[in-house]
Amino acid sequence: MSTNATVENLVPIFIMGKRYEVPETFTIMKAMEHTGYKFLRGCGCRGGVCGACSAVYRKAGDYHIRSGLACQTVVEPDMYLAQLPFYPALRQVYDYATTEAAAAAVFALYPELFRCVACNACTKICPMEVQVMDYVAALKRGDILQAAEQSFDCIQCGLCASRCMGELPQYHIAQVARRLAGGKLKPRAQHLADMLAAIQTGRFGDALADLRRADKDRLRTLYEQRELEPEMTGEEWRPQATVGL
Amino acid sequence: MPYPQQLKDLMKQVAATRAQRVAQKQSGWHFPFLSLDQRKEMLNHHPDFREEGRREVRVGPSKGYRVAHEIVDLLEARSRVDPDRLDLARVALETDVLIIGGGGAGTSAALLAQEQGASVVVATKLRHGDANTMMAEGGIQAATKGEKDSPYFHYLDVMGGGHFTNEPELVHTLVTQAPSAIAWLEALGCNFTKSPAGRLATIHGGGTSRKRMHYAADITGAEIMRTIRDEARNRGRDITLLEFSPAVELVLDERGHCVGAVLYNLETEEYFLVRAKAVILATGVCGRLHIQGFMTTNHYGATADGVVLGYRAGVPICFLHTVQYHPTGIVFPEQAEGILITEKFRGSGANLCNVDGEQFVNEREPRDVEAAAIIRECSVKGKGVPTPSGKAGIWLDSPMIELLAGEGTVKREFPGKYILLKRFGIDISQEPMLIFPTLHYQNGGLEYTSECTTKVPGLYVAGEVGGGVHGANRLMGNSLLDIIVFGRIAGENAGAYAKQAARPGALTLDHVRRYHQELASAGVGAERIAPMLLPDYTPPDVRGRQLTAQYQGTLR
Amino acid sequence: MRIAYYPGCTLKLTAQNLEAAALASLRALGLVVEELPRWNCCGAVASLAEDDLLHQVAPVRDLVRAAERGADRLLTLCAPCYNTLARANRLMAEDEEKRKTINLFMEEEPDYAGQVKVVHLLDFLRDDLGFEALATKVVRPLTGLKVAPYYGCMLLRPKRVAIEEHPTLLHRLLAALGAETVDFPAMTDCCGAYQILGHEAMALDASAAILRSATRRGAQALVTSCPLCDYNLGARQPDLRDRHGDLPELPVYYFTQLLALALGCAPEALRLDLSPPGCRRLLAERGAIAAAT
Repeated sequence: MSTNATVENLVPIFIMGKRYEVPETFTIMKAMEHTGYKFLRGCGCRGGVCGACSAVYRKAGDYHIRSGLACQTVVEPDMYLAQLPFYPALRQVYDYATTEAAAAAVFALYPELFRCVACNACTKICPMEVQVMDYVAALKRGDILQAAEQSFDCIQCGLCASRCMGELPQYHIAQVARRLAGGKLKPRAQHLADMLAAIQTGRFGDALADLRRADKDRLRTLYEQRELEPEMTGEEWRPQATVGL
Repeated sequence: MPYPQQLKDLMKQVAATRAQRVAQKQSGWHFPFLSLDQRKEMLNHHPDFREEGRREVRVGPSKGYRVAHEIVDLLEARSRVDPDRLDLARVALETDVLIIGGGGAGTSAALLAQEQGASVVVATKLRHGDANTMMAEGGIQAATKGEKDSPYFHYLDVMGGGHFTNEPELVHTLVTQAPSAIAWLEALGCNFTKSPAGRLATIHGGGTSRKRMHYAADITGAEIMRTIRDEARNRGRDITLLEFSPAVELVLDERGHCVGAVLYNLETEEYFLVRAKAVILATGVCGRLHIQGFMTTNHYGATADGVVLGYRAGVPICFLHTVQYHPTGIVFPEQAEGILITEKFRGSGANLCNVDGEQFVNEREPRDVEAAAIIRECSVKGKGVPTPSGKAGIWLDSPMIELLAGEGTVKREFPGKYILLKRFGIDISQEPMLIFPTLHYQNGGLEYTSECTTKVPGLYVAGEVGGGVHGANRLMGNSLLDIIVFGRIAGENAGAYAKQAARPGALTLDHVRRYHQELASAGVGAERIAPMLLPDYTPPDVRGRQLTAQYQGTLR
Repeated sequence: MRIAYYPGCTLKLTAQNLEAAALASLRALGLVVEELPRWNCCGAVASLAEDDLLHQVAPVRDLVRAAERGADRLLTLCAPCYNTLARANRLMAEDEEKRKTINLFMEEEPDYAGQVKVVHLLDFLRDDLGFEALATKVVRPLTGLKVAPYYGCMLLRPKRVAIEEHPTLLHRLLAALGAETVDFPAMTDCCGAYQILGHEAMALDASAAILRSATRRGAQALVTSCPLCDYNLGARQPDLRDRHGDLPELPVYYFTQLLALALGCAPEALRLDLSPPGCRRLLAERGAIAAAT
């Protein structure tokens, strides 16, 4: 029991209600592995970006439900925790190519957007501090670009959906918004299209063929002679040599 | 954990030289790059050059090749399934193209195979998108700015970074297909950072001669992955996703053509067969093998399964003796140990400094050189910064970025890392980060062609599981590029092959029997099985109490 | 005095003409308003059931947004937004028990007690500028145009949030713009509102009665401040005529559109592209705008 004071850097935590003692500096993920859990679900990148390991917890004597990524959240004494590695939120299939980047298209896919009552439970639970309610609000008024920007750090863990009384699948809706913004609302890169055309017409064929024929020594020489674009210049820099351009 | 007082005191040395270093950078001065000969010398400090870290593999198509013990252990191991017990007549699922791996390469391949009219099954060990693609932060290289850059310079940079050992044909394909890979992603709605007029933002990466690294804030890989995953989900009628279902063995026909795989349902612990006309291996990488004990940036499932599967089926391996250690992994706080700090920090101007606050290497050397320089500074030179747990690290001076590019830049450009370290009480816009090299990338792998074919007909390779394009060292921003370019090629070619040329025969696992015989003859591997599927982080004392004498299932 | 501006969702979608004309007018009047950088849906009519506190959370949150910007007033253009926000504000100011409950539920926000005043643009023009002063700024008076000022429900009911007890503000505004106002008995009747979705015939009949009442008094146009009224009375006029064949066409404008026109704002600010064709036609016939801009 907890009276064992010989190991002073251990703290008690409750994993799905069962008590374990774990080193106080561990993350929830390392603490669970330390107790003998072996993850199948609930563990992914171990670096805070994949959304596999969302955990919900309470602190002793506090009714607030808190959240964090198990791989990023350090344990606290008497933490009551569980993982929520999957949430059955509805994701609508849509044909990206023909979907118009307009509010009406998003509304048609996800009419439940209008079930939002601005309770803010989504934002409060988000482990990435995304302003979920705000991007839902932006979408309700048709501002796809703002929703795309505000949802950018979303890791699609599904915790928002798990807390939503309007039963919105916020993270799926945001994904539609980001793709419509990225591919249809923001202007395409003209320099990219120009480069594709240049490659298509074979502009670099000879220069590349020359490199392919070069032996190692010549490659080394060409490599060492490369003009290096200075770090602190803007887009205006141009190389002196025209070989390869 | 915030920095303890001892580190806060040491940090003052970095702050003391910061103003001068910022001024130097603004004036255009940079710490001298090493010459090619000096690089070679420096690389002696790289873990790849520790002979005691590797041994010869004694079986299989690349018998005699010396690679890391941890990889040899997997190659010299028996199958998870007994070929005699598996009923090959019971096929659970049939498809045109089976893709093993649900990361960036596998998903790109799925989309392109589907566009050939093929039915596609993607089998992945964890969730769709649980892959290193998701974790790639810095960016994706492509020569898209014709006024100063072209595939010619990209080619030279790739070859130089790989120490001129790369497969030229693969490099040629990589650099000439790069712009169309970016255009494809842009058209699918990927939010690359760009100007209001649509001009893509590009920066330098280690070893680049031109600023050609495109990015989406500091979550480039995640943005790419979630975009193409969303598209694959939209095409769910033709693309079936099998999550938590890793492949444990390839299935060949009597002519040796690849015609499917044995998959394993991790949750129900059942093995089942998928028959396919073509198979694409897109399984990624080996970081969770913790080669030479290094910490890793890789995701939980990075256990080199595809190398094991392909090797047993007869595909040789190449460049696997080189492993990339990312120069900058977090070494403090310990909870975040191994987590990658993107090279974009250095691309944006942050210096590396030793315990005395001195620069000792240009921050934009190729990764292997950079990592070797950090290891040397901490070991041979003894100028590392001591951490509370007795390790050593080097300062990455992120506050410089605020001084160079304006207040708020760190938070805006690196939101992921800013939030992560803020949770630990460290404000990286004000305090430098403590870093050390971390196991990051498998430079080598299965041999494949620029058409993504292998020695085994019907078996295709895409992404990090393959070797050759990066030679002995990959440059930053070329891995995301690799998976998109070769993922698409593999999907297109496998899809077309499945629809036209494939004439699959009867299923056999004879190659597994032969491999087992070879192991027995060499007298190795009887005690090991592979693929590993998942690493095991159970502490030894807990393991010692796990006394179950006999399991019904096969996972454990 | 600091005023925060709350547009509401409809003004960003179908009622952009209500907003565009208003903002152009305010600029022309030299009145500076700043849109709240963060805001959510006002909750609209979902909050009309007063025992359902949850639906007060949305409008109260917008009031908190205004308070945290240091505003003492929140400006609205849209009648339902005005109504919803004003009622939520009264609730927070006057019902201590419900205020406590809502504040406790929204504990991540600062406590709010109804301190921000919700105003409608009509209030604002009366109080901050005055209609006499407004009249002096008119450069293109609507002389001779007979306009029916339609108030509907949301500006006037319930009484405790009415912008005024007896409807005069639209009259005074139109008079200041040089128009001739047409009194008509149905000016505060309901247009049928959301019943258009569930009980279409009933709503169409209600709207038809309003239009008929206005045209009988000789109105050439009707103004409103409510996107829903604009829809029922304006956009649905072809359907109304299907049911009531003898109903003449009557252009329906947002009051802000006529305001902008009179103040000499560029015709584009009226966003007539979002109004039924008759709206542009009437103004073009009068030479107030070019026939096709």
